Amino acid sequence: MNELDLIVAGQAGQGLQVISRTLARMLVRAGYHVFVSQDVMSRIRGGHNFARVRVSTAPVAADGDKAQILVALDPALVARHVPDLTDDAVVVTEATGDLPENLNVVRLPLAELAREHGKDPVMVNAVAVGASLALVGLDPAGLEEMFRSQFAGKGEDVVKRNVAAAEAGFRAVVEDQKRCCPHRLGRGDLSSENRGQSLGIAQSPAKGQSPFSDRVLVAGAEALALGAIAAGVRVVTGYPMSPATPIVEYCFRHAQEAGLIVEQTEDEVSAANLAVGAAFAGARSMVCTAGGGFCLMNEALSLAGMTETPLVLCVGMRPGPATGFATRTEQADLLFSIYAGHGEFPRAVLTPADAGQAFQAAQDAFAIAEKYQTPVIILFDQFMADALWTAERSSLKSLVHSPESKVASPDDLKPYSYRRYEATDSGVSPMLLPGTPEQLVYADSDEHNEEGHIAESAAIRLLMVNKRNAKLAGIRQELEAPEVEVEAEVEPETLVFCFGSSRGVVSEALARLRAKGFKAAMVHLRHVWPFPAEAVAGLVGKDNKVVTVEQNYSGQLAQLLSQECGVRATGTVRRYDGRQFTVAEVEAGLEELIR
Amino acid sequence: MSEVKDWSTSADVTWCPGCGNFGVLNALKQALAAAGLEPWQVVVVGGIGQSGKMAQYVGANFLQGLHGRALPHAIGVKLANPELKVIAVGGDGDMYSEGGNHLLHAFRRNPDIVCLVHNNGVYGLTKGQAAPTSGLGFTTKNRPMGVLAPAFNPLAAGLAMGGSFIARGFAGDMKHLVRLIGEALNHRGFGFIDILQPCVTYNHVNTFAYYRERVYDLGLEAHDPSDADAARARALEWPAEGEVKQIPIGIFYSSRREAYESCGRPGQGVNVAKAGTVPQSTRSAVQSPFPLDVVKRALGEFE
Repeated sequence: MNELDLIVAGQAGQGLQVISRTLARMLVRAGYHVFVSQDVMSRIRGGHNFARVRVSTAPVAADGDKAQILVALDPALVARHVPDLTDDAVVVTEATGDLPENLNVVRLPLAELAREHGKDPVMVNAVAVGASLALVGLDPAGLEEMFRSQFAGKGEDVVKRNVAAAEAGFRAVVEDQKRCCPHRLGRGDLSSENRGQSLGIAQSPAKGQSPFSDRVLVAGAEALALGAIAAGVRVVTGYPMSPATPIVEYCFRHAQEAGLIVEQTEDEVSAANLAVGAAFAGARSMVCTAGGGFCLMNEALSLAGMTETPLVLCVGMRPGPATGFATRTEQADLLFSIYAGHGEFPRAVLTPADAGQAFQAAQDAFAIAEKYQTPVIILFDQFMADALWTAERSSLKSLVHSPESKVASPDDLKPYSYRRYEATDSGVSPMLLPGTPEQLVYADSDEHNEEGHIAESAAIRLLMVNKRNAKLAGIRQELEAPEVEVEAEVEPETLVFCFGSSRGVVSEALARLRAKGFKAAMVHLRHVWPFPAEAVAGLVGKDNKVVTVEQNYSGQLAQLLSQECGVRATGTVRRYDGRQFTVAEVEAGLEELIR
Repeated sequence: MSEVKDWSTSADVTWCPGCGNFGVLNALKQALAAAGLEPWQVVVVGGIGQSGKMAQYVGANFLQGLHGRALPHAIGVKLANPELKVIAVGGDGDMYSEGGNHLLHAFRRNPDIVCLVHNNGVYGLTKGQAAPTSGLGFTTKNRPMGVLAPAFNPLAAGLAMGGSFIARGFAGDMKHLVRLIGEALNHRGFGFIDILQPCVTYNHVNTFAYYRERVYDLGLEAHDPSDADAARARALEWPAEGEVKQIPIGIFYSSRREAYESCGRPGQGVNVAKAGTVPQSTRSAVQSPFPLDVVKRALGEFE
């Protein structure tokens, strides 16, 4: 087989992320492409959370249709996942509690195994890891080292107890299933005496030992943070809010070694303004928030535009308005991010699709912010941030590049003669930092003259408005044209536009539609502003049908297409219930539209 | 060494004739010259209001930002480059109303910043509305029956929030104010001064004459600035309600506490603006080192 889907379900607080991530890392080391999505309620304990783990021999960037394996820590959760399962699915769950009929169930004393072998009921997640490994047919030998890397700070005893609990879970499934689990990745025998010899590819080598060690499993938020570190970020600010919190937390963890200043401020207003201050003083600065927090930052965004301060804002989209769904996904802040902030000033808006693109978006954001001395927004959806993506390590490293800045040379200046807002054709003035001997740097939120002093002259106003907005033409040159995914040697009849994390779902849906004979191409925008109007207009022939796939109510991308290049979408496939599109849903929606 | 005239600018000063702000501006210039600082070593961060305009009039580097946000900007500047002397200026509306939350947390954090608040008990730039420091019953165009809530007491609030340097000055006592700002510049931590600064256009209660009758210098009394209880008692001498008999000026409280930018953080007070990748003067960003080793190690975590 070349694909396997698992669902791991439980209550908040039961350590589902540990289970799905550990399992996924083991599978990546074994050479598989893995994609993990998280469905999480906004509560700390109880409720119903689950992760979907998709394992494939080919790259995957979306959830699978149906799962062959369900691991439910709480039997009460099994019933609601029955529609998500294949007819031959195997369900592993706790030994006691009522279950729906006609399921292929492995009932294990999960809590008892956790107490007995892990010496703690919380080790139920480790038991589940072991059981899952047995179900997919993966040798648990690499677990110890993986637990050690995860729980390094908690002591060797915790590592050992996790390993013992996982081993117990593994053995329990093997004993129950003997040789009959139908969904194993490897073909071999799982009985302990043969373990490691006959499992074929289904072994997970230790760190660094894998022939696939170039592959990593990384969350979108982590890749974004790491991309910013690689781009030389120095000051990171934020106020806790899903889905941006993991970016700040990642930066906190790496602050010492990467030389970062990471600030949790008193509120979002302070987070954004502190970053503006730090950027004015010369530190590459980034502020992280979600749509609601971004509302509070609009004034600072406008200030960065007026004072021509390089600032990167990471804005996570979750369903609004107001508090909406705290832990779920949407793409409804597209137009907001493009128009946010009062007054007119240039900005770029980047919409990465996955971890690899998030890493690069951080690089691009700093490059543009520095070069054009203006704010750049990385607009990501919750799904992108929280999903775990398989990425090539070498491709992440090779992306690192140096922003180029236009810098004034104090040696060429008479003392105290620097003009921060000197008018230039490009709109970009040579930069100098406060603290340069015998020069003064002024940044002014009032309309100002070239020096930076407050001014009310109409002529100066025109000079400065034109100067600031001239930068947009330069920014436009920096952005990448939309990605077009088209079948070789087939002229597409329909163009399907999308942005952000919809890319994986749309790409897979279109592959299925092409197999049915539809001639359709995907156009994915990872840079949405300045809108690539020329490139889009060039793509759309007069006979092409245009549709969009987007996670919002009003079809915001379709609006942009119409407004920015006169391209009218004849239909949109939309979802706005807070859950990510499924491939099947997009396939059906598109089929309906382009039939 | 700079002289007072080195802190002047060509900027057109737009305050009303006789405004109390002139006293604050002149005192700051004198204190900066006396502190042996050069204009390029100082960043003045201004809020928005008549007082915030002072950032443009001092002759140092400046960031004139937003109403209420001078402190976040100032903390950002200081964190990025602790070598800069950072002075945040704003009015009572700026610091006590729009930016009140930032002020409370700045007392807690204790960044090495001087914070000067022009307290005239009224809004000047927007033409005469009540401020958080307007006295109970103070009448304005939109409060003809008088202000309904007692005035904010910035000194008491600062003490409650653990501020390390809490002082009050008076724009009508230049010698005293120059000395006070000098002490705040020397204080390693958050040097907060509430400055009584009469508005000659919109506040006909808290005039120069009103203050001259009531202010007295704590420095001439047996007041111990390391005694927080004594400081609280002095801060409450200006009652929220009823007759104001006397108003202490001077240093209410002063203690030594680690400054925020050097508190157990990565880099510990390192100039990240310089150490970072953004060019300082002629250094090109292209030559700057990227933390590639960090990225490489970090990627290992995801294997």
